[in-house]
Amino acid sequence: MRLSGAASIAGIGATEFSKESGRTELRLAAEAVLDALDDAGLAPSEVDGMVTFTQDASSETAVAREIGAGPLRFFGRVDYGGGAACATVGLAAMAVATGQADAVVAYRAFNERSGRRFGRAMPEAHRAPTSQGLEMSWHVPFGLVTPAAWVAMCARRYMAASGATSEDFGRVAVAARRHAATNPAAWFHGRPITLEEHQASRWITEPLRLLDCCQESDGGVALVVVSAERARSLRRPPAVIAAAAQGSAPGQQTMTSFYPDSGHPDGMAGLPSMGVVAEALWRQSGLAPRDVQTAVLYDHFTPFVLMQLEELGFCGRGEARHFAADGGLEIGGRLPVNTHGGQLGEAYIHGMNGIAEAVRQIRGTAANQLSSVHNVLVTAGTGVPTSGLVLSRD
Amino acid sequence: MTESPPDELTALAEAARARGEVDGGRAADPVNAPMVRHWLHAMGDANPRYLEAGEAPPAMLQVWTMRGLAPEPPGTGSAVDGLLEWFDANGHTGVVATDCAQTYHRYLRFGEELRSTTRFGSLSGPKRTAMGRGYFLTWHTRWYSGEEQVGEMMFRVLKFAPPESPPQRPPRPERHPLQPARSADTDFFWDGAARGELRIRRCTGCGALRHPPGPLCPRCRSTGADHVTASGAGTVYSHVVHHHPPVPGRTAPFVVAVVELPEGVRVTGNVVGADPGEVYVGMPVRLEFERVDDGLVLPQWRPGTGEPLPALHLPLTRTSITAQALATRDFQSVHHDPGAARAQGAADVFMNILTTQGLVQRYATDWAGPAARVRRIAIRLGAPNHAGDALLLTGTAERTGGAAEVAVRGANSLGAHVTGTVTVEEEG
Repeated sequence: MRLSGAASIAGIGATEFSKESGRTELRLAAEAVLDALDDAGLAPSEVDGMVTFTQDASSETAVAREIGAGPLRFFGRVDYGGGAACATVGLAAMAVATGQADAVVAYRAFNERSGRRFGRAMPEAHRAPTSQGLEMSWHVPFGLVTPAAWVAMCARRYMAASGATSEDFGRVAVAARRHAATNPAAWFHGRPITLEEHQASRWITEPLRLLDCCQESDGGVALVVVSAERARSLRRPPAVIAAAAQGSAPGQQTMTSFYPDSGHPDGMAGLPSMGVVAEALWRQSGLAPRDVQTAVLYDHFTPFVLMQLEELGFCGRGEARHFAADGGLEIGGRLPVNTHGGQLGEAYIHGMNGIAEAVRQIRGTAANQLSSVHNVLVTAGTGVPTSGLVLSRD
Repeated sequence: MTESPPDELTALAEAARARGEVDGGRAADPVNAPMVRHWLHAMGDANPRYLEAGEAPPAMLQVWTMRGLAPEPPGTGSAVDGLLEWFDANGHTGVVATDCAQTYHRYLRFGEELRSTTRFGSLSGPKRTAMGRGYFLTWHTRWYSGEEQVGEMMFRVLKFAPPESPPQRPPRPERHPLQPARSADTDFFWDGAARGELRIRRCTGCGALRHPPGPLCPRCRSTGADHVTASGAGTVYSHVVHHHPPVPGRTAPFVVAVVELPEGVRVTGNVVGADPGEVYVGMPVRLEFERVDDGLVLPQWRPGTGEPLPALHLPLTRTSITAQALATRDFQSVHHDPGAARAQGAADVFMNILTTQGLVQRYATDWAGPAARVRRIAIRLGAPNHAGDALLLTGTAERTGGAAEVAVRGANSLGAHVTGTVTVEEEG
């Protein structure tokens, strides 16, 4: 039994992206789900499966209740923060492919700017002696308490190993903001930045500057997964799930894989969990990096976009800075990345808005539409156990 | 604008300078075995050379001429007596020692009779300090055996005007807001840190070292484990400088580093004592310990290349502090009377300076061995060592030829109690 080609994304939906939604997270989730169902042309009563992030505040049952869904036959959650994004779709696809459910909605909705901000230090969050709390305990007492700081620790090692500089990170931000500038749904619509502005932005945690960090956003995104066959009869052109994979490296910690037992020669200068995902995506899809016309690479922090290019095989180890040079990640470049503006430019919806952008590029409806898109690679949050998708035209 | 001292005080300082070397009188007793033995026990110093060779520990130098409870012999005094009287009569009744540097020209033998002299050094101030407005007064003491000078000391005190409001007991440090979660699999690490040891889990099945630790050995699946104590050497493997957002318990900018140990594991900690901009991947660092609250000690890192010394963890009790004060012939009430100590704003009785000097010496000679000779001990004093607290001594040594400079740091729950250097030479 193969998952590749068995299921498709048939609907995408979202709320507006803002800094203060003025609504509850449950309401945002329900609005995004209804929008996605409307996009697909499915009635809420036809939904029989729901998937979300472990971190989401709104349960599958609560969202199903709000939208007036019928009985649920499948529900589940995926852990590890933004690393869950593509895996929610993968889980939905498996449910559909195995007959557990017919129409599964994957959603993520939060008030991450007006409510609990991920950019703030929350040392209390990890005090329980769970395995994750114990992992955090090797770092929290020393003030290493934010995602930016955990990523910065790997970024510094990557700089030492590859010769990458803050300007190389800046090129990722410049590309994202260029794309967001022409995307009306993006928070930074009409507001491109220059490399000089990136270099002038203040330090958050060295070597990360403010403009290396994604936004904090309020909003919700939902995706409807049905069988590939059924998708053909629905309202929109399907985005076929050609591959869906999760990855966690040997010796993995949630977001602090700083220690030598990862089996990776220099685990901190790479993203071994994304290497695991990459191998599975190419194997499942039968595709290679050259077959992909655009990629949506999870961009909570710019250095990890460069490191993903290497793990995914778009360039050799340590070569991403050359790949990104001269507008290499911009429309018209070597590999246009995050044509919606990414989480740096559009909104930080934990990677789910990136999957929606991949679907639009397949459909031909993106704000910054590329020509002749056949295959799009999408990744989820990195530095954590992660996931990825390859979406293809039917 | 710098405030000038009153003319009266300037005149007293000039008079003190004009007195030159002032006779401090003879020691009450010759250098003797009972006092040495008592002192060694009070310091916990097991160095056998003193009693075997009939020599005094060099850090006892000042002890011999402490007057104790005896009245001052007529015709003797100190070069700074007039200044000290003026301070006490003019509201600057508070006193704390800030620096002390002793140089030992040779070791003293049992039976030698010492005398001491003092000479005015300098007076600076008034200055605003954390204790209050005050003056730094420095003097120099010399010790003679017959006509031979055998040792000398620079001593600096802050004479200050205590705040008018009655002294408050200094607050105990609040609980560190960044507490680790602990489990039975990780308790050994934090228990070790509290004793000045950086412990690395060792599998008793295959010997593999592992950090961070867990209940099993991922290599051989054994659950059997003990630990080794890290040498204290390390290299910065990666690091960040945190600026934003504010983190409770830390003051930005601060450095967090992943440090690679020669034992083959990596650990995370802060790099302290360095400008954040100076830290780099590959920087050699050395282990020290930060006591952040009563229950938590963090292994930390400081730039350096010296040989790390094993840490020395010393619980401080009223008994130890009192015994040490008496062994150094220091009968100041704050070192044995809790009521008197509290009346001066202290949390409890606290350690005297001659004891700190002795413990710093002990720490260096514990490492250097009985054959080493201590030539100089220079210390700077910080937070007091109260009964009920604990002192954690750490250090590194830089060897040059037959000598070594030992950098010593002593920390308690209030922060740095002492920083200093001990110069030791091989016997030769």
